[in-house]
This record gives sequence, C-alpha cells and structure tokens, in this order.
Amino acid sequence: MSFSSWVRGTRLYFHMVAASIRAQMQYRYGFFMNILGWAMSYAGTAVTMWVMLYSFQSLEGWSFWQLIFLFALAVLSWGVCVIFFFHFRSLDQYILNGTFDRFLVRPIHPFFHFMAMKFDVGAFGQLLFSIAAVTLAYIQLGLDWPFWKWGVFTSAVIGGTLIQGGILVLISAIAFWTTRSERFYWVVMFPAKSMMNYPLSLYPRAIQWVVTFILPFAFVNYLPALLLLDKPHPSFSSYWGAFSFAVGLVFFSICYQIWMMGLNRYKSAGS
Amino acid sequence: MRQLRLYLEFSRKAFQRSAAYRFDAWTRLFSNVIFLFMWGFIWFALYSGKGDVEGVSFESMLSYIVVSQMLQGVHGAGTPLWEIQERVRTGDIAMEMMRPYDYPTRSLFSDFGNIAFHFLTAVLPLYVVLFALFDLQIPTSMSQWILFLLSAVLGYLIRYSVELTFGLLTFWLMETGGVEDIFYFSISLFSGSVIPLWFFPDWLETLAYFLPFQGIFFVPNSIFVGQLTGQALIEAMLMQGIWLVVSYVILRWVWSRAALKIVVQGG
Repeated sequence: MSFSSWVRGTRLYFHMVAASIRAQMQYRYGFFMNILGWAMSYAGTAVTMWVMLYSFQSLEGWSFWQLIFLFALAVLSWGVCVIFFFHFRSLDQYILNGTFDRFLVRPIHPFFHFMAMKFDVGAFGQLLFSIAAVTLAYIQLGLDWPFWKWGVFTSAVIGGTLIQGGILVLISAIAFWTTRSERFYWVVMFPAKSMMNYPLSLYPRAIQWVVTFILPFAFVNYLPALLLLDKPHPSFSSYWGAFSFAVGLVFFSICYQIWMMGLNRYKSAGS
Repeated sequence: MRQLRLYLEFSRKAFQRSAAYRFDAWTRLFSNVIFLFMWGFIWFALYSGKGDVEGVSFESMLSYIVVSQMLQGVHGAGTPLWEIQERVRTGDIAMEMMRPYDYPTRSLFSDFGNIAFHFLTAVLPLYVVLFALFDLQIPTSMSQWILFLLSAVLGYLIRYSVELTFGLLTFWLMETGGVEDIFYFSISLFSGSVIPLWFFPDWLETLAYFLPFQGIFFVPNSIFVGQLTGQALIEAMLMQGIWLVVSYVILRWVWSRAALKIVVQGG
C-alpha cells in the first residue's frame, strides 16, 4: 500500500471508530453497566486471590500485591487488545451469515476494515480496573522504578497487546478453514489466559516452554513482571521480560500473514 | 402425570439435540479440564511445604477441587441465563409464553436432557478415569454417596433458580452486563467452587453461610471429601432445602412480574 492510501485508511479508521462508539452509546445505561460489569468481574478475581492468600500467605513466593501486579499487567494489555481485536473471535458468524463478503468488495484493505468494524468501549472497564490495581500494587510494594523499567513496562503493555491481539487474529483465521472461531476463543484462549493470571512457575516445564516459545503468553505478564519486581526464575533469565515488544511485533506479523493466507483461501473458494 | 410426560419429552428432545452437537460437549469438557489442571497446580503450590492447613490435608483438598470441577462440568451444560437473555432480546419469549407449558419448568427439563447427555458421554467417563488414576478420596459408605448425590441435586436446583432469576432481569434492564457479573462473581467465590469456605477469613465465612451460593458446590463437595459429617451435615442440607424453597419462591414471583411486563408491552 502506498503512503496516501495509509493516510486515507487511517482517517477512515477513525471515522468508523467514531461511528462504532456512537452506536454503543445509544443505550447509555447498558454502556455504563457494561464497563462497570467488566471492572467488577476483574475485581472479583482479585478478591478471590486475596481470599486464597488469606490462609496461605504466599503462592510460589509471590505475595498478594505481587500477584495483583502480575494479574493487572495482563488485564491492562488485554484491555487495549479488546478495544481493537476482541470482535475478531466472532468472524465465524460473519462468514456463516454471508456478511463477511461486504468486507471484500469495498476499496479498503479487508483486515483493516474488519478491525475498524468495532471499537469496543466496554474495555474501559478492564483499563479502569487494571490501572487502579497496578497503581495500588506499585504503592503497596514500595516500588521506585528507574527510567528503563518504565520502558520495560511500556514495552510489556504494547507487546502484550500485540501478542494477545495476534492470538485473536489467529483464532479468527481458523474460521476461514473450519467456519468456527468463537468456540476456540472460549475453549482455548479464555482458559489459557486465566492460567496466565498466576505465576507461570506453578505449571509443568513443558507448558512453560510452550507459552514462552510457541504461543508467547509468558511475554504478556509473567516475564516482564519478573524483571519489574526483581524476582528470579529457576531456568529463564529475568532479562527476557525486556523483549515483549519485539516478540509481540514478530508474533503479530506472523498471525497477520496466516490471516491473509486464510483470506486468500476464502476468496478462492468462490463463496 | 400428563404434565410430567410432556416435560420429560422436552428432556428427551434436548438429549437428542445435544447428541447432534457432540462437538460442543467435548470442547466444553476440554476447557473444564484446563481449569481443573490450573486449580490442581495452584493448590499443589499453596500446600507445598505445609502439612494440614485448618485441619485439611492436601489429599482432601485435591479431591475437593476435582469433585468441584466435575460438578461445574455438569452445571456448565445448562445455561438458563444465556438462554433467557437470547429469548428476550429476539422476542422468542412471546412464543414461549403462548404455548401451553410453564417456561421455567420447560427450560429446567430441557437442561436435564442436555446435562444427561453431557454427563454420560463426557463428564462421567473422564472423572471416573481421574478418580481411578489419582489416589483421590471418595465417599467411603453408601449413605455418604446418597447424601452427596442428594446435596448435589439440591445445589443444582438452587443454582438454576438463582441464575434464571438473574436472567429474568433482562426484562427490565435490556442490557444485563453488570448484573450478570454480580451473579458470576458470587457464584465463583461464595459457592466455594475453587476455594472452600474453610479458608475464608471468619467474617467472610459467616457472610457466605448466610448466602444461597454455598449450597451449590461447597456443601456437596464437603460431603464428598468427608469434611462435613453428623450434626453439621444435617444442618447444612437443611439450609440447602430452605434456600431452594426461598430462591424458587423468588423466581416464581419475578417470573409472574415478567409475564405481566410482556402483556403490558403488547407481546
């Protein structure tokens, strides 16, 4: 794509995003309840962690506030990811209803167009919770980060968004081959994401390797948190946490390529 | 009697429908296993280097988590909250109310069919293997088995009543996002589904005892692992009975108001 078409695309994107927000604001009560609901359900998980550690003090050497930091870091990048990519999981519905074809006949890049379809404001609930939780944890743990650690933090948030967004794109790409995607989100990604709310070292070595080198969930929160909270890991270097952004970039572009491959296959099926 | 046959027909149909969508049952089982795995490792780590905590051994705790996930797997096959929301949103509910049956009862019997299929083909085989493979605690006497089953059924009916009541709020709110989350949070924490009430701080434990949710998973799970016996067991099951009656009465009341609401809106 040329530069001018990028500029035009970006302007269109914001235009469509504005329309999407207006659409979601139509039911004002529902809009606020949605945000509140998300924030509350995450707060609920935090309360569960608190109750769990009430009798046991620590989990794998992680105190309550360290655990909250780990959890909130994942929720923060997930919140950003939800805004842009969450609707990718229901691509199967568009394909089944035949409404996906309209993304193909318009003079906009289909990926871009599909991405701009929804700008999920419900995710402000995630952001609300996670920013409050990270701030509280920062104060409670008495952290005082030097400048480079803020860099690591930012890289974790952007990288985490790209990694989780990449997985959503990957899940939606499955729909091009199997006409199913939403189900895979709830069955695979949702439980996997829940597992990552707890320290990775809980799980067997094989799982730790998979989420580090294949589906790089570990770069979303666990590895950066090790570095940011100065915690050791028996076999991983704690400096790996600094590479979230780079890993995210590579992973997302692979997922994007797979999505485009699926799209080409979808077109050639002649449907 | 004819009524019961009518409703059982719905169970049969739902059973057949589930059989047609076998893929769904098995994928649901997959995520159930991931969560079992996750909580197993979390409790393993929490207990590492400790003996009994609050008088509960790790073996008991692990059995508790496994039986809890098993019951949750069963409960997951029936989702009255989602169903009622869809029906209200699409307007199908009007059709349901025109028909010569009672919707809450009809929906319960349909769920029986779904659960029967899911239980027989997915949950039961998996958990029989799990209980055989790992040396877990199971009820030691016939009476303990019967009490567990009875308590699990009571728990299911309590959850059904409470969940459908929350679902019916769709009639007034249109968007149930926030209300729904209150329900899901309460059921995940106060039901003792992942953390038994023994490990709660005292004040929270007291609060949980006065809520209906503990009757859903905590009571049957505790009976299963033998932590609840004698006088305390009878009291706990009596509480379940009382909560079932109370939540059922609330459900009927909310349902009658909702039915009225539909008439007001002109169907």
